[in-house]
Amino acid sequence: MGPFLFNLFAVFSVVCAAGVVLNKNAVNAALCLLLSLVGVAGLFVSLEAYLLAFLLLLVYAGAIVALFLFIVMLLDTKGDARPTLHKLPLLARVMAFALVGAGVGSFVVRGQLESPDLSRTPALGASLKLYAYQLFTTYLLPVQILGFLLLVAMLGVIVLSKKFDGLDDIK
Amino acid sequence: MTLEALKLAAADNTWSALYPELTLGCLALALLVLEVVLPKRLHPVIPDVAAAGVLGTLVGLLFNFHSVTLGADTFNGLLHHSAAGQVMRAFFLLGALLTMLLARVSLARQPMPRIEFYHIVLVVTAAMMLLAQSNHFVMLFVALETLTIGLYILVSYYRTTTASLEAGLKYLIMGALSSGLLLFGIVLLYGVAGSPALPAHSAEAMNYGELARFLAANPHNFLASLGIVLVLSGIAFKIGAFPFQIWIPDVYQGAPTPVTAFLAVASKAAGFTVLLGLCGANGAFAAYSSLTTPVLTAMAAATIIFGNLAALTQHNVKRLIGLSGVSHAGFLLLGVVATAHSSLAAGAIYFYLFAYLLASFAVFGVMTHVAGSDDADQELDHYAGLAKENPFLATVLAVGLGSLAGIPPLAGFMGKLFIFVSAFQAGARWLLVIAAAGVVVSIYYYFGWIKAAFFETWTPPAGSDTPARPTPTPPGMMAALALGALAFASIALGFYQGPFGQWLTLR
Repeated sequence: MGPFLFNLFAVFSVVCAAGVVLNKNAVNAALCLLLSLVGVAGLFVSLEAYLLAFLLLLVYAGAIVALFLFIVMLLDTKGDARPTLHKLPLLARVMAFALVGAGVGSFVVRGQLESPDLSRTPALGASLKLYAYQLFTTYLLPVQILGFLLLVAMLGVIVLSKKFDGLDDIK
Repeated sequence: MTLEALKLAAADNTWSALYPELTLGCLALALLVLEVVLPKRLHPVIPDVAAAGVLGTLVGLLFNFHSVTLGADTFNGLLHHSAAGQVMRAFFLLGALLTMLLARVSLARQPMPRIEFYHIVLVVTAAMMLLAQSNHFVMLFVALETLTIGLYILVSYYRTTTASLEAGLKYLIMGALSSGLLLFGIVLLYGVAGSPALPAHSAEAMNYGELARFLAANPHNFLASLGIVLVLSGIAFKIGAFPFQIWIPDVYQGAPTPVTAFLAVASKAAGFTVLLGLCGANGAFAAYSSLTTPVLTAMAAATIIFGNLAALTQHNVKRLIGLSGVSHAGFLLLGVVATAHSSLAAGAIYFYLFAYLLASFAVFGVMTHVAGSDDADQELDHYAGLAKENPFLATVLAVGLGSLAGIPPLAGFMGKLFIFVSAFQAGARWLLVIAAAGVVVSIYYYFGWIKAAFFETWTPPAGSDTPARPTPTPPGMMAALALGALAFASIALGFYQGPFGQWLTLR
């Protein structure tokens, strides 16, 4: 059952990822991305990394893809008005093929990674409780700094987009 | 994990060791509060509060240089407090102070909100100071992202001009790409160092010390090498080293001039402190010096050649100083290469950074005063006849450019000399030849600028009746004092290095 589910989710997410690239309509592409992420979350569940799976669903599928959809709908792009692709330069084509070849090759040969004995690996951060303990003790300083990061980002959005009196924005 | 272990971990969070960063953070928040609380006519005071706070922090830091935590690890190994870290803290505080001074002049010409600018500069400075002391990849990445996101906003701050917005967008995309490369490298290193199949594996491989132990036990691991190269590429983006320098000219031209100065000096210095922590003599990647040295050597050579040749053809002074900054990154990389075999090299890099800070801010200070309302449009022609109109600005410009070019007896010359001596000790002979050629080329374009200021007279372009040139703003008292002090320090540091030079040689 385990390998079957793993393969099912793997194929599902790859098919959906291809859908993101091939879809002409931006909304459909974003929805394909959502499905692909759900597939990856399924992979994590079958690997018993539940926290990672739920974080992926919450953050990426929930927040980021929803943001994409908002932007796409705000911009109101039509699927038919797509510019024709330029022909890629020879160097770029060769490099792209080499990259794909390297990817497939490493998949076939399985790279140099030997699968470690999973029972011996400490599962730090695998459960939410341990993860929270770590965040509030060892990694307290980075968490505090991230607070400042979010504050700066919010201020930046306000400064760069708010309408101020006496400010003629470029059209 | 038991409760006792958690208590122990929490007890290691020595907040008092971070008093300069905490002061800056609280000051940044206080600025926002002041903007709400104070009546509108008192708002011009707020930038003074920010500058005074930074100055106070700097003085406090210098008086308390040998703090109790010096040489210790705090925050469970996230931070390591060293003398070099203290020096870089002072460096970033000085950079922030000068950026704020320039911002007062430049922001006055723009119809933009003011206080947020100072707030972001303060937070970015605190992030840089933490970056200079980070001993852990989580800390490194969080601090780096905080400073980069702050800089995205600062670069596109003059949003009413297309150049600034374009620069912000370019910087955002290139910055995201470089962060991605860096993160990919970090994850590869963490993953391979955590693999139980390998000797000396560690669950805490984000820590530099643990990582160095792992790398020393596995000297020829392919994945670790790949991770190291990716991390170096990510940092090369930040310092603008070849082949990751493509964003430099456009971003430097479009960004507000004070931000360009901040990017050129502080952001580059932050990149180099990270690079020294990783590739220096006792850095995390020390065991892989057979990999990092050739990579950095090739990068240094290409960066010096590219930066100098590209700067030769520029007419916009912001692009010129940006591309010449690329060549300065090359000289600094030469110092990083030398750290493996020369004890002088690390100190030489710090000295070079200080000389670069003094000279760059002198030049950028003059640029801020010469620039008109269009901040991106600063051509070499605008400097024609500056010596007649404002001899003070022209003199400061000449001293700053001379120091950047490395003319004896200015500080820039001593900086280059220290770097070259350490490179000679390390035996990087052919790299020295390239660097010397680079210096000669750089003198050509720096002196082209000085020539424009001293020996040329402004003639309006044929066919236009309006003089299409901004008139230089005469510097106010504070700005004049600061510019004079920068020029004087550039000269004095060339003659006499004092305790600073002793600190360098005794290291």
